[in-house]
Amino acid sequence: MFRNLFSSGFRKGRQLAGLGGLVAALTMTAPAMAQDKEPIVFGGSIPLSGVFAFAGVHIHAGLTDYTSWINSEGGINGHPVEYVMEDTAYEVDRSVAAFKKISGSDSPAVYYGDSTGFMKAIAAELNSQGNTLMSGASFATALTDNEQYPFQFIPGPNYSQMFGIILEYIASETGEGDKPTLAFVYSDTEFGKDPIENGKARAAELGIEVVEEIVTKPGSVDVSAEVLKLRRVRPDYVVFHGYVLSPINEFMVQMRQMGLDTKFMGTFWSSDKLIIDKMGADADGYMGVMPYNYYDSEESGPMLDALRAQAEKSDPEAGYRPTGYMQGWFNAMVWTEVIKRTLDAGKELTAENMAASLASIEDWDTGGIIGIPVTVRDMSFPVGRIWRVNADEGRYEPVSDWIHLD
Amino acid sequence: MDWLFFGEISLAGLAMGGLYSLIALGFVIIYKATRVINFAIGEIMMFAAYLFLAFAGGMELSPWIALPLAVLGGSILGGVIEKVMIRPMLGESPIAVVMVTIGIASILVGVVELFWSADPQLLPRFLPREPVFIGPLYLAPKIAYGFLIGAAVLILYLLYFRFSRGGVALRATASDQAAAYSMGINVRRVFNLAWVFGSLAASLAGVLVAATGGLSPQFGIIGLSVLVVVIVGGLDSILGALIAGVFIGWLETVAGAYLGGEYRMPATFLVLAVILVIRPYGLFGTHEIERV
Repeated sequence: MFRNLFSSGFRKGRQLAGLGGLVAALTMTAPAMAQDKEPIVFGGSIPLSGVFAFAGVHIHAGLTDYTSWINSEGGINGHPVEYVMEDTAYEVDRSVAAFKKISGSDSPAVYYGDSTGFMKAIAAELNSQGNTLMSGASFATALTDNEQYPFQFIPGPNYSQMFGIILEYIASETGEGDKPTLAFVYSDTEFGKDPIENGKARAAELGIEVVEEIVTKPGSVDVSAEVLKLRRVRPDYVVFHGYVLSPINEFMVQMRQMGLDTKFMGTFWSSDKLIIDKMGADADGYMGVMPYNYYDSEESGPMLDALRAQAEKSDPEAGYRPTGYMQGWFNAMVWTEVIKRTLDAGKELTAENMAASLASIEDWDTGGIIGIPVTVRDMSFPVGRIWRVNADEGRYEPVSDWIHLD
Repeated sequence: MDWLFFGEISLAGLAMGGLYSLIALGFVIIYKATRVINFAIGEIMMFAAYLFLAFAGGMELSPWIALPLAVLGGSILGGVIEKVMIRPMLGESPIAVVMVTIGIASILVGVVELFWSADPQLLPRFLPREPVFIGPLYLAPKIAYGFLIGAAVLILYLLYFRFSRGGVALRATASDQAAAYSMGINVRRVFNLAWVFGSLAASLAGVLVAATGGLSPQFGIIGLSVLVVVIVGGLDSILGALIAGVFIGWLETVAGAYLGGEYRMPATFLVLAVILVIRPYGLFGTHEIERV
């Protein structure tokens, strides 16, 4: 019985502790076969501890496993790949310090930023250096402003585009002449507020009425007053943004207790399997927008199969890999594609050349990570699919086709 | 004005305020007896909630066995902290002791991440799920039952402080340590008792609050938000903690409902600022208290 005391969290905790010990730079090197060429460095400010550690450990695992896999495939055009990172505890100042240190010592061609705050803070330096292309955990709409952030991209749709995909789905589910009603529930953070104005504008274009906006303060204990507000407007849909788990569960449970038949939806970081694992049957019917196939989906493809094989190889006991893992892997995949295109064109690996290579991506086959060919628009991949929780099966199942925004 | 809506959100706010009162009580008991501002109170709450998760989730014990075990664990933790880390600091400057409590908070966060990972968690369900109606007014069941449990414990505390030998010793020590010592009261034991009882209140509140709002290693931040409650009520006033807790809970909820969630904190801090100007020692606090 005592073995179960800390549940599976104990093992994860030990892993986390082990990873946390890698405060100094961690380096993955390529096999000897590819070491005759200069290594290409993937850098990263990774939140292995702090508030975002629940995702950071999986992002780190995705980046690590991709590095191992690409090196086993001979690297990028024969160049071995090294992954150099530092733990940032999800603090902007530590992320900046890590970037300066890694930039100074390892000259990374590409870099993983752990937050919107960091990616904004480092933009001026990144622009002036001109030798690193950056992406990361952020899907912030602001980062797709090419004027201000020419060397940063989003590894999927930005948050406004995610709302666009959700709203298109809602519109497609609505009968002719009906006007669905919608409420936005978001956290009182930069992250939470990101897509709201664009979302309202897009909803109006699609004939969807936004009947309520609920803002919750970070770490809110009780949301029953907010639920009471929603009871009065009885929305057909509630879209959550800016959360990982709580208070989504409380909204869903309390609104259902009140007899409302509202459907609940969320964006990328609110659509992990964590919701199913923690909420159990209460999660049934919850829908999320996801740009990648889930690790345990029935989809397949050469890259998705390679990802699963590498994940199994690196940690056979890990089982399911969360969306953070998929996101880390996809970031590294895009970096590889961008570097390859730049090298193939006979150009130097400068930020400007790599940004141009990124912009040239059109109808790119991601090998099953994303179910349809993708085209880069404004430094993002505006594609996604709506998935719904099947609590009995313990997983998300697709309920829409892939939606690629123009 | 929709009075039914006002009534419902007021009820929700008052019930939530009851839980704030319980946390504030943990804060005040420790300060009143030992003059230590315990910045680790939120992390003690968090630790007890994780213990509940371990007992009820990991070991699959009945939640009604897990709850007292978790609260007991949190209380013992408070007693151990006092004996091992706070007592050696007796006579040191208040700032040094406060820094120790901040350090303890960091250690507890690390321990929790080590054993339970950084993933957000939900506690196993243990409170009834049927909606509660008081007349026509709806109240979320978790909040309603959480309030009832918290209120029952608050009454037990008040009875203990009023009638038991330990309670009298605690009150005597809080009034005048030297006089209490000269009358044969074991002041060191009273200090330890205060940490145990303060941590017990915080631990119970931790489990009840986590049952409502979820749990993560950052859960302890709630303890700091309750600092507003104890400053408004008076750092050394149990009555102040109870009244201010209920009031701040109500104010937060009403401000959130009518002005928007982003105005919850500004509303409470506005009240804090006004109280500090009018009564710097809090509504019910002792005039001479020294603030850090």
